[in-house]
Amino acid sequence: MIKKEELKKLAEKLMFKMSEEEYETLENEFETIIKQMEKINQLEGISNVEPMTFPFENSGAFLREDEIGDYLTTDEVLSNTKYHLNDQVKVPKVVE
Amino acid sequence: MIKELRKKLDTEKVTKEELFEESIKKAKETQKKYNCFVTITDKFKSRASNTLLSGIPYSLKDLYSTSGILTTSSSNILKNYIPVYDSTVYKKLKSAGAVLVGKTVLDELAMGGSGTTGHTGAVKNPHDVTRIAGGSSAGSAASVALGITPFSIGSDTGDSVRKPAAFCGIVGFKPTYGRISRYGMFPFASSLDHVAIFATSVMDCAIVTDVLKGHDKNDMTSLKDDGKAYAETLEKEVKNKKLFYIKEAVSRDAYDEIDANLDIVLNNFDGVLSSVRELGITVDEISIDKALLTAIFPSYMAISCAEATSNNANLNGISFGVREEGNTIEEIMFNSRTKGFSELIKRRFVLGSYILQKENQEKLFLNACRIRRLIVNEINKLFEEYDGFIMPASGGVAPKIGEKTDQLSDKYLILENHLVIGNFGGFPSITVPSGKIERMPIGINITGRVKEDDVVLNIAHQLEKKLKEMV
Repeated sequence: MIKKEELKKLAEKLMFKMSEEEYETLENEFETIIKQMEKINQLEGISNVEPMTFPFENSGAFLREDEIGDYLTTDEVLSNTKYHLNDQVKVPKVVE
Repeated sequence: MIKELRKKLDTEKVTKEELFEESIKKAKETQKKYNCFVTITDKFKSRASNTLLSGIPYSLKDLYSTSGILTTSSSNILKNYIPVYDSTVYKKLKSAGAVLVGKTVLDELAMGGSGTTGHTGAVKNPHDVTRIAGGSSAGSAASVALGITPFSIGSDTGDSVRKPAAFCGIVGFKPTYGRISRYGMFPFASSLDHVAIFATSVMDCAIVTDVLKGHDKNDMTSLKDDGKAYAETLEKEVKNKKLFYIKEAVSRDAYDEIDANLDIVLNNFDGVLSSVRELGITVDEISIDKALLTAIFPSYMAISCAEATSNNANLNGISFGVREEGNTIEEIMFNSRTKGFSELIKRRFVLGSYILQKENQEKLFLNACRIRRLIVNEINKLFEEYDGFIMPASGGVAPKIGEKTDQLSDKYLILENHLVIGNFGGFPSITVPSGKIERMPIGINITGRVKEDDVVLNIAHQLEKKLKEMV
């Protein structure tokens, strides 16, 4: 059984807050999920298998050449924020 | 339907503007009842082009970047986001002259299967408003099923196009991984995400895929074009093709109890198999280790939530997303993410983060990736003999909104979630309507070998014709 404190630590790392009620739902949900997840570890010899991170090898995949392509203008970039000053995105002071 | 509309446009029986107006009218009339759209376009825009899609209206899931048009991913955190660049999908459709009618509602950030969690409310099933349309590409599915647009672009990470297609009684096609560029499509789980298409026929899915496919320098996972025109090979002979189905999912012996819905689904499946065999296709029953099959869904949850947690880290009110007040950067991020994400999304992220913690990585994340390889290897081995596999797209009709299912049952873990195999292996996979239970549609799914999109579409088209003869 996963503890609420552990869930709170994870939410903290993820940079959001959750209400006490939300943690209760999450605790209940985790119970089902953990039971489902147990099925992952039930297969014999599972640890000898190479993990798969992409559907198939794409031999045609390559990094593009390091050439100047389409890029956004400063005005375009700044159109996405109402917080800007002197062509830069404005944030609170980082270094005191 | 696209070819019929093309003919009407070419013979001037209707104009592009009239088609657009008709779509917009339907979109507005149905919006309150079904909630398909986040944004309905108000201006007709179509480039001169001589493709089949020129002047044809369509809708686009609201996670494709559209320059100058609101793109929210159905999340409060992006509720005011107006992109400054076009996704490749949108760009290609614009160049082909297709006309955007609206951006469709999805489950928030595409993380869901019900279509009820978007920030603008639940999408309702066109056949029964008390039921879900399915998700996450809910608004796209409903917009095609309601006849608002002849096709729509969705995205499919687990079954997000192929399952709603079944629930709404239309066709849903997910091509091979990388067949269509994902540049400008907001990612959910990058190793599983696919661009996918809804339409009312296999032919229309093929026509749209022909326009969208091909390599894109902006997406290094996109495949080189195979040079085939899928829409032109649908009438090929399918005699002597070979398909299999998975015993553990559809054999009556696999279930302790069979409810009325499942009974009809399994009867329908038997009927479909007869039609398939009448086409000269061989269908065999194949058995796969049940322990492996029941591990597919939890593995999918582990992989997708882990990837999503990382992919969405940039939604923090500074890089992207609505910025909330705060005295420090950390406070801004905390407040923006707290207010911007719904409870469900937060729960998914916590799960993803839990799976990625050092102490859980080996047991949960890496073992899930190992299950992925085992199932993909198993299917690829079968594909040495078979051209594909055929299965019911779900174990029943679209559930009622808010209906709970037993998420630990074999039925849920295998029959309701086997479409994930298509994402694990990047296999081309298509859902076609196969009948109705009372008023509600159900569908059949065919999945084939990687890069053999033409074969899957060909078999599906022939089966679709056969099934229509039966109705």
